[in-house]
Amino acid sequence: MKVLELKNVNKIYNSSEVKVNAVNEVSLAFEEAEFAAIVGPSGSGKTTLLNLIGGLDTPTSGEIIIAGTDLSQLKPSQLIDFRLKNIGFVFQSYNLIPVLTARENVEFIMTLQQWPEKERNERTEELLKAVGLGDRMNSRPSKLSGGQQQRVAVARALASRPKFVLADEPTANLDSKSAATLLEIMEKLNREQKITFIFSTHDPRVVKMARRVITLEDGRVISDELR
Amino acid sequence: MKEELTIAWRNLWRNRRRTLITSASVFFAVFFAVFMRSYQLGSYDLMINNFIESFTGYLQVQHVKYHDNPVIDNTFELNDSLLAAIEGLDPVVSVTPHLESFSLASSGTQTRGVAIIAIDPENEKRFSDPENKLVRHRISAAALQQLEQHAIPEKVMAKLRKNLNRSYTSPERIERELGLKTTERDTLLSLILKATAVPHGYLTAGDNGVLVSNRLATYLKVDIGDSVILMGQGYHGVSASGIFPVRGIIKMPSPEIDNKLIIMTLTTAQQYFDAGGKISSLVINLNDKSPRTMRTGKAAVNALLKNNETTARTWYELNPILYQQIQGDSQSGIAMLALLYFIIFFGIFGTVLMMVSERKREFGVLVAIGMQKTKLKRTVSVEMLLLGIMGLIAGLLAATPLILYFHYNPITLTGNLASTMEDWGMEAVMPTAMVGPYFYWQALVVVIMVLLATLYPLHKIDKLKVIEALRG
Repeated sequence: MKVLELKNVNKIYNSSEVKVNAVNEVSLAFEEAEFAAIVGPSGSGKTTLLNLIGGLDTPTSGEIIIAGTDLSQLKPSQLIDFRLKNIGFVFQSYNLIPVLTARENVEFIMTLQQWPEKERNERTEELLKAVGLGDRMNSRPSKLSGGQQQRVAVARALASRPKFVLADEPTANLDSKSAATLLEIMEKLNREQKITFIFSTHDPRVVKMARRVITLEDGRVISDELR
Repeated sequence: MKEELTIAWRNLWRNRRRTLITSASVFFAVFFAVFMRSYQLGSYDLMINNFIESFTGYLQVQHVKYHDNPVIDNTFELNDSLLAAIEGLDPVVSVTPHLESFSLASSGTQTRGVAIIAIDPENEKRFSDPENKLVRHRISAAALQQLEQHAIPEKVMAKLRKNLNRSYTSPERIERELGLKTTERDTLLSLILKATAVPHGYLTAGDNGVLVSNRLATYLKVDIGDSVILMGQGYHGVSASGIFPVRGIIKMPSPEIDNKLIIMTLTTAQQYFDAGGKISSLVINLNDKSPRTMRTGKAAVNALLKNNETTARTWYELNPILYQQIQGDSQSGIAMLALLYFIIFFGIFGTVLMMVSERKREFGVLVAIGMQKTKLKRTVSVEMLLLGIMGLIAGLLAATPLILYFHYNPITLTGNLASTMEDWGMEAVMPTAMVGPYFYWQALVVVIMVLLATLYPLHKIDKLKVIEALRG
């Protein structure tokens, strides 16, 4: 089942003198339970593409359709709500809310969706246990290591049962052991719970684990390889 | 709302020192603002209590033309049933009739234009209380001569000589003027009081005598037992004249009034002016000086005045200059508070600026993961309000016991300032005003100030571009 489709998507930045085509005529489709990596050199348009897919940025032209909804048709507040219900985000620098505990960070997404307290608690515990942090639920981000924070971020991204999770360089700030643990967890969640993961990455370990690798260069898809 | 409150509260303590400094600035602003305002309002209360309650009254019933043209022809008939009806009104504490006019007073070769106030001697004790203003002591040459025969320290004698011919209404006043030490007071005061004591007398009902103000008595060279001749114009142009024995000398706070006042009984004045049954005003005191009580009291009194000849006026209509002075002083106090809050506002605004700059990325993340901007704005507003309210509550809590203490135990003034205030018929104290609406105003000002400072982050959130914010 198709969860995401991009049709002739372009993103052009008009700086003062130069016109930059950061994403150039990209057309892609992602099925449920994919574990895909978008790779390419710096400046190839990986992060821009991920931002467009996540509804954080708007394309200059083309369509982005998620679960049958064209993102360009949504008003800004509807887009925020759409992101909340359909897309999970994992950022390179974790970006947890520093004043909330691990449990509260995960629960926050469900609170925004007004889930009943009992369901919130159950889901939070289930997710934090799944990422191996069942014993650190009440710790604030400042008391967790980088790898642990990123695992909380993964749990947060999965909290609202999104259609897919976008992870922008999730292992970039982690040591090799933490990166390996994180990748194992995400791969397991993908395999067991059929969660779609789309990464932008430079990390060969992520590429190695991905079952689909899309390579970008100068904003264009130059290869789309299924393994 | 719970999660907004939780996040806001925890955000406050991310930078504990900054939060404490900002809250402390609000605390000190509120504390000083409330305390200063309390003293200011307390002094107005005192002024109104002492001055208005003893001179003008809160309300006066007058002939409609009397305020603009205060002559004996613009008086009205005193009506017992009206008097009783006004006394029966809920906020009314006392009703005192007055008849006021002008005449020439003379004694020997001295003559001067004087103001005559006619009173009901017993009733007046509840109002301006002239009996309390009677001269009871005077440092005369004879008194000095008598005192010189005793072993009185030269320093005290010098003070006595310096105040030659000065009159005093109470032993306390003479004691304060001389500034006696505790040891001197025990040995010397009774001696000085005995030597300076002068006879004094008050008016009785139907008395045909008069009380003469101290400076006027000096000018006319009259004392108790002497007589003054009064001559003037009575009701509807009749000629008024009479000779009146002096019963007492009164010392009035204002030198201007002290130079020209004669007090007599109402019946004597009505005979003198040929204005039988007429009065120029009914002076009314109320149990509450709030503008609301004044308005309702005035309306209630006016409702009882069934003719178009008389009307009730409030003290601020009767004393527009005093009222404007109080208003002007109050406005300058408010301007000072505004300046104080203006400075504090920039302290809060500085915190807001830093907070926004530090958390731009975090705002971006929150919106990226699905928090509506309205919810984020609410969280930031709650955070800012908590910051202000902490300082506000602490400031009010710290000021309240002090205000209550100084309300019930006002600072007592001494020396010349105390004498000047007492000369003006005011108690020589500095009380604070009871906790009242000015407390709520401070709270409102702080809340408005915080909300104004919050406009900046709200605007920034409104214009937030997630991608730019995430880049930091």
